[in-house]
Amino acid sequence: MVIGRDSVPSLLRLDGAESVRLTLVVLPGTSAHVSLEVDIDAPGCSLDLAGLYICNSDEDLNLDILVKHNSGGSSSRQNFLGIVGGKAKAVFNGLIYVAQDAQKTKAMQENHTLLLSGSALVQARPQLEIYADDVECSHGCTSGFLSDEELFYMRSRGIPEDEARRLQKLAFIAPVSSRLPEEIAAEVYESIS
Amino acid sequence: MNEILLEIKNLHASVGEKEILKGVDLTLRRGEIHAVMGPNGAGKSTLGAVLAGRPDFRVTAGSVTYDGRDLLAMTPEERSWAGIFLSFQYPVEIPGVSITNFMKAALNARRKAAGLEELKPAEFLSLMKEKMAMVSMKPEFARREVNVGFSGGEKKRNEIFQMAMLEPSLSILDETDSGLDVDALRIVAQGVNALHTPQTASIVITHYQRLLDYIVPDVVHVLKDGRIVRTGGRELVDIIEKDGYAGIDG
Repeated sequence: MVIGRDSVPSLLRLDGAESVRLTLVVLPGTSAHVSLEVDIDAPGCSLDLAGLYICNSDEDLNLDILVKHNSGGSSSRQNFLGIVGGKAKAVFNGLIYVAQDAQKTKAMQENHTLLLSGSALVQARPQLEIYADDVECSHGCTSGFLSDEELFYMRSRGIPEDEARRLQKLAFIAPVSSRLPEEIAAEVYESIS
Repeated sequence: MNEILLEIKNLHASVGEKEILKGVDLTLRRGEIHAVMGPNGAGKSTLGAVLAGRPDFRVTAGSVTYDGRDLLAMTPEERSWAGIFLSFQYPVEIPGVSITNFMKAALNARRKAAGLEELKPAEFLSLMKEKMAMVSMKPEFARREVNVGFSGGEKKRNEIFQMAMLEPSLSILDETDSGLDVDALRIVAQGVNALHTPQTASIVITHYQRLLDYIVPDVVHVLKDGRIVRTGGRELVDIIEKDGYAGIDG
């Protein structure tokens, strides 16, 4: 789903043994506040949620993602990747909530950001709120710049600097961009310079 | 005498505030293999990195002429297009980029710079296959991410594979023997020797004699504390092997 184009539900409820796979995309030039809550209310559900956001000018982006495991025996995985440059501001709030009787829950959340400029701002607040004691939950969060070592290695093989940077960015987003339908993936690739 | 390919004059280079190269002179002709030997910290790898154009190494004095051109004015990619290749001591991992895509980008950039059309996919793939076989790399490596999860020997073979793909005029092998067992060393050395022609030249940077048993140098330089303190023939290698670097001075 492309933010600002498709209507994204603010609440998603999984109440049968179902599998949901959802990918959110934020293309450059989009300022938005996206709130999404996914309630997992039945066992045997699996949620596979991914997000990709690319900001390259002065976007103001806020992502609030709440995954609530109200019932046990379900799993959720989230992977949000951002490329943030220019003077853009991107805030990611990710909360995994596991209710007291939601035993045997498996929940995982990743949020990684690639910073392209010193004037871009990234805030990531991954949070776990767990009231059950027999669960497997994890979160990981990083932000960093493109690697100079990789850049020099590629340039030393004749790959021009611009193209080397582009390759690095495409590689960074690949885990999520590879999930996208062809037309949207093409738009994403085009938006990356 | 063959034509001069590389001429280094009074080269000084620093990393941060620290001067590493303190006046290096070296003349390399086409068809020659020069070994640069020296103790750890002498500046051997710095010399290789400066020739390849690594941005965080600052040249503070001196000149380098490559094939009649001012090498120091060229970007790393321009140096590559002009035929310079550095085999890294520590090849860099590039997660998410396959060897195929990496080499395709490298080869086509070079062809574009030379005013040539991109290689057709079939031509490119058969070239990959041929060059991988040269260093006994399994075909499935083509799909793997560049150097990610490779053993020491696989990384070095991947370097020589890239060298074979790019067919450089000047190859600089930085400690290519480090981390290699005898079999891998032989494969790598055979690859390097097969790529050597009367038109190309190589600088082999090494701490030990081992690699030079397989890649036989015409000239041997000893680098100590940022300067070449001795230049000689093959016999220098034996002296170093016997007595170490302590006894060698200008």
